[in-house]
Amino acid sequence: MQPIEIAHLGRVLVGIGFGLCAVGAGIGVGQIVAAALNGIARQPEQAGKIQTVMFIGAALVEGVALLCAVFCFLALQS
Amino acid sequence: MSDSAHPFQLDQYILHHVMDSHEWHLPFMPVIHLPSFLSLHALMVIICAVMLLVLFCVIYRKNDRVPTGVTNLLETFVQFIRDEIAVPSLGEEDGVKLTPLFCTFFFFILGLNLLGQIPVFATATANIGVTAPLALIVFALMTGGAIRKNGLMGFVKAFVPSGVPWPVLLLIIPLEILGVFIKTFALMVRLFANMLAGHMVIFALLGLVVLFGVWALPAVILAVGISLLEVLVVFLQAYIFVLLSAVFIGQMYHPEH
Repeated sequence: MQPIEIAHLGRVLVGIGFGLCAVGAGIGVGQIVAAALNGIARQPEQAGKIQTVMFIGAALVEGVALLCAVFCFLALQS
Repeated sequence: MSDSAHPFQLDQYILHHVMDSHEWHLPFMPVIHLPSFLSLHALMVIICAVMLLVLFCVIYRKNDRVPTGVTNLLETFVQFIRDEIAVPSLGEEDGVKLTPLFCTFFFFILGLNLLGQIPVFATATANIGVTAPLALIVFALMTGGAIRKNGLMGFVKAFVPSGVPWPVLLLIIPLEILGVFIKTFALMVRLFANMLAGHMVIFALLGLVVLFGVWALPAVILAVGISLLEVLVVFLQAYIFVLLSAVFIGQMYHPEH
């Protein structure tokens, strides 16, 4: 049987990597905001502190996802 | 627009609009060629700096008993930065001492981002040469400032958590040292990538109009929607940069281990 050839296999895989980083960012930030909502629902008077921690956590997770996006973009260029 | 001699290429169109160059395209005017020592993003930085100087030195009235108008708005921001961002992370005296730095970061990044939303100007924060010095200032504070505050031995001891068996220490100390570099790097890349990605999406959608003509009307509507979302991202990214730099500097100044 002939081996299957895919043109630009490297680019296709980098595209998959891009999509995976979006999935990671979505799931991560979704979990963080869900936990923050739970906390605010239990104790509405602590809403300010919980919001601050949520922003810090979301920024850290998004930072990792954006790092991955930048590296994928660089891999696509070369 | 495009013809057979210069075919329209979408990636060239996007890259030409988000990257640095030495020409300034104003509407209904000939192209302004900038000198070699002043690039477009450097011009944006200078415009933002002049804007901030005018806003804080001329428009802000220091001698009013009760602040009104723009004075009140600026004081609200500065007080928010001091009381909600700087003092909780750094303590009373360090927080008040470093508040001018965080206010500078906040208004500088906010001004640059907002200038980029206006079609005539360009986004300087989408250039990694602009976000890198900001992150380097935070890095200098995290290392040099912490050394000056805690002494060299105190700074080194901050990487060693207490009450931990020594095999785990061998793992944790390199991770903590690496963490300082990674946190600074992430600070730089987060702002840069957020601004760059937002603008690339908008220009990609607008480039579709050249390719498809009137059938690309939904793309224009989507571009308007994303521009509105980007205003939220602009404020959020400025706030996140200042918040995270305060948290990281506070972690180095007061090691809580």
